[in-house]
Amino acid sequence: MEVNEEACFNDWCPGCGDFGILRGVESALSEMKLDFTDAVLVSGIGCSGKLPHFVAGPMSGVHTLHGRALAFAMGIKLANPSLKVIVDAGDGDTYGIGVGHFVSAGRRNVSMTLIVHDNRVYGLTKGQAAPTMPLGEKTKSLPKPNINGPINPIALAVSSGYTYVARSFAYDTNLTKTLIKEAVAHKGMALIDILQPCPTYNDINTNEWYKERIYRLEDDPEVHNESETLAKMTQAIKNAYIGEDKIPIGVFYKNELVPTYEDRLKENISNYLTNYPAMQKIEEKGGSVTDITNLLEARKVI
Amino acid sequence: MLRLSWLIGGAQGTGVDTAANLFGAAVARAGYYIFGSREYFSNIKGRHSYFTVIVSDLPQHSIDTTVDILATFDAETVFQHFDDVTGYMIYDKAQGNIGVDKIRSIEGSIAKSQAKILEDNGYGITVADVVKYLSGKGVKTIPIDYGTIMGNIINELKMNPFVAERARNMICVGASLALMGFDEEHIEAAIKQIFAKKPEFLKLNTLAVEAGIKSAQNAYSIKELKVTKSRVQLDGNTLSALGKIYGGLRFQSYYPITPASDESTYIEANQLLQTKNNEKQGVVVIQTEDELAAINAAVGATLTGSRAATATSGPGFSLMNEGISWAGMNEAPVLITYYMRGAPATGLPTRSGQSDLKLALNAGHGEFARIVIASGDHTEIFSDAALALNLAEIAQTPAIHIIEKTLANAYSIIDQDSLQKSIRIERGKIVYPEAPEHYKRFAKSEDGISPRAFLGHAQMYYTGDEHDEYGHISEDSSNRTWIYEKRIKKLEQVDKYLKDDQKANIVGDAETVLLTWGSPKGAIIDAIEELKKDNIQIEMVQVRVFSPYPKELVINSLKGKKRIIAVENNFNAQGAEVLTEQTGIMPTNYILKWNGRPMTRDEIVNSVKSILKDNTKRVILNGGK
Ligand SMILES: Cc1ncc(C[n+]2csc(CCOP(=O)(O)OP(=O)(O)O)c2C)c(N)n1
Ligand code: SF4
Ligand SMILES: [Mg+2]
Repeated sequence: MEVNEEACFNDWCPGCGDFGILRGVESALSEMKLDFTDAVLVSGIGCSGKLPHFVAGPMSGVHTLHGRALAFAMGIKLANPSLKVIVDAGDGDTYGIGVGHFVSAGRRNVSMTLIVHDNRVYGLTKGQAAPTMPLGEKTKSLPKPNINGPINPIALAVSSGYTYVARSFAYDTNLTKTLIKEAVAHKGMALIDILQPCPTYNDINTNEWYKERIYRLEDDPEVHNESETLAKMTQAIKNAYIGEDKIPIGVFYKNELVPTYEDRLKENISNYLTNYPAMQKIEEKGGSVTDITNLLEARKVI
Repeated sequence: MLRLSWLIGGAQGTGVDTAANLFGAAVARAGYYIFGSREYFSNIKGRHSYFTVIVSDLPQHSIDTTVDILATFDAETVFQHFDDVTGYMIYDKAQGNIGVDKIRSIEGSIAKSQAKILEDNGYGITVADVVKYLSGKGVKTIPIDYGTIMGNIINELKMNPFVAERARNMICVGASLALMGFDEEHIEAAIKQIFAKKPEFLKLNTLAVEAGIKSAQNAYSIKELKVTKSRVQLDGNTLSALGKIYGGLRFQSYYPITPASDESTYIEANQLLQTKNNEKQGVVVIQTEDELAAINAAVGATLTGSRAATATSGPGFSLMNEGISWAGMNEAPVLITYYMRGAPATGLPTRSGQSDLKLALNAGHGEFARIVIASGDHTEIFSDAALALNLAEIAQTPAIHIIEKTLANAYSIIDQDSLQKSIRIERGKIVYPEAPEHYKRFAKSEDGISPRAFLGHAQMYYTGDEHDEYGHISEDSSNRTWIYEKRIKKLEQVDKYLKDDQKANIVGDAETVLLTWGSPKGAIIDAIEELKKDNIQIEMVQVRVFSPYPKELVINSLKGKKRIIAVENNFNAQGAEVLTEQTGIMPTNYILKWNGRPMTRDEIVNSVKSILKDNTKRVILNGGK
């Protein structure tokens, strides 16, 4: 008997918001007709990190280390920029242990999509407070109310240089799908923070709790010319701080006027996009094709 | 054979490096080989740095503790090194009155011990006293009026004095070359090559060198040699970069750290490659936010089929542990060039050491195959860098290439054709461009190595969790048993692939063996020749590959030896500890040094003599400033 190649057994808790995100990812991939030949799913560690293994269909997955998904993803994307790289990571992954990579990814603006499963807890380690949990909140998994203040992912992304910043809700699979499609098509670094109920550990930010609060953002998020940048960033950050009673979802910020990291590399290596590292033929009949004569000549003394 | 030791020193930021490089280039043009070793503080401006350069008609691989010619243009260099000079000292006439107690940048303990040498001999503590002390020992001194010379040059060129000052050291170089008897055309040609695009510096440096030449008389009468083959002047960082580029590296990620980053910046500066088939290729070099990103980005890049690497030293390597473990678990052929420096912690950031061999051998949690190679000299660095890329792909596992700071920052004159000779590119089991249907990235195989397809070319899964043949998470106990073994067993293929001389260097055949790895090789090779003059025969066994450990080869080469002396730049003789762990063999004696400075030829010669005479168990060395 062959094992099931399509996907391995999905072991998320019943009712987990991750199922909604998975559905959003799968529909986006199938509508974009992406498969392993042109895309790869990269993930971190946590309940969220298992997503690539659960995706149905011919897709490849790289399930990495806690906090490091973006670093792996960057290596994959820059060595093979023809691949669409989609990263799934937890909020602990991204805004906690991996927050350095999160900020730096904005500075680089590599064309990748980062989907964060924002459940405000460390799911796989049994519900400790994640960096998005508000100060003083006490879920059933915590022994005491949360003593740390929260990070604001949207504001942090905007100020770090992300050029596509959006928020979705795990059970709004349609919105999630639409945002993923936009993000994948976007030129630059994209964040989709997805509010994700964790029914097992987070008994406060539940499906019902979110449903009572979320609404769609109406503002035009896009920077159409450079002079609008500050105004659109300010608008995005204001919207990011609207608060806990009313929670906007949708696109907060979009700016395709910033050169991507691939564009910047192209400035130095003109044929970078057509002959990227992964496709360069380095060997011919066992010998190196690289000619270092010039480099040695530069150091010749006699 | 000629072997002359020249040392130039000065405050960091005053161009000591450039001076030493120009000196080397000039000497090389006259047909001589050099080995130059650089010592400097973890500091940008002001602290004492120096270059020791060995000049010889034959290739040399080490320096000496003693110095034939001490070339100085500041007082601190005089105080730091006067007790090591045997031939000549060039110094600034105007600084005679400066006392060692007036030098702020010198460490108090060193000032004290150097003053004590003078005082014990009945002298005061000024530069003038040093000159008297040296005359008493038969060392000749050459005073130079640097201030006046610089004043004249500044007047002639109407140059900003602050800019012109950078050429002060070239007066010193000129005087040194005249003292050795080298023709001035060589240094002028070398200056022309370096300053070709900066006419005002060309003029400035030429004038300074000419003034220096006039300040000293020929004493060594070194004859020009005919050279038929091209020679290049290269340091260890550049050789590693060149080996990697030649070996097909196309992606390098790094975070700045001494003494590793010069390699990455060199690659970035030269990222556009020439190829034999005239295809335009380029190396992507990324300065990441930290070493966690550096290792993991490189690992990610390998999954696409690109040869990828990172370069770091101790602190960064420590941070990379988890990524190395993931690469081991996922059979990713990443190369980590490990520049070893003084540890623990930030330790001696700009000095050398061999204290991390066992870290390299055990880095990353879990058991998995890894390649660990340690280079012993400059040509080895080049070939090992390319070899490491091959071995990583053959075994589909991380490779660690150890280069010590002392070799990274030293330079040699090398015959150009000795570099690329027989290096092949071997990529191991690869399925490209397309993989079969139902591709299994971790398919079972006889030798433990599965055909590797690249992301984009087949459906595949990678995970740091235990996984099945497809790369899907699996906690099945029997799956765990075979796949765990697979990741270890495949290293046998590397052992089969490697030739004996790639695994270990065995030089000579004698009952006394110096067992070493890495940079001490140079001092040992040079000492073997020296010891022959006293009819002392020595064999060297230099282990080049530590994983897979060349057990059989090492056992055979140590069989029946009367004495096995472990020679290492660390406290515990880690290389020898690995020997014992792998073979049960224990060294009989030790020559050890952990003060951050390289072993010198005379240290090895003296230690061997002392061991042969008194059977000293552990000789602890402390040479070098
Ligand atoms: C370096 C490291 N530290 C700690 C862990 C343990 N760990 C596993 S999952 C996890 C938290 C996951 O939380 P999050 O990223 O929010 O993902 P979620 O499970 O909520 O989807 C932690 C701390 C680890 N795997 N690696
Ligand atoms: S612990 Fe929470 S996040 Fe993890 S699978 Fe269960 S419900 Fe989902
Ligand atoms: Mg979480």
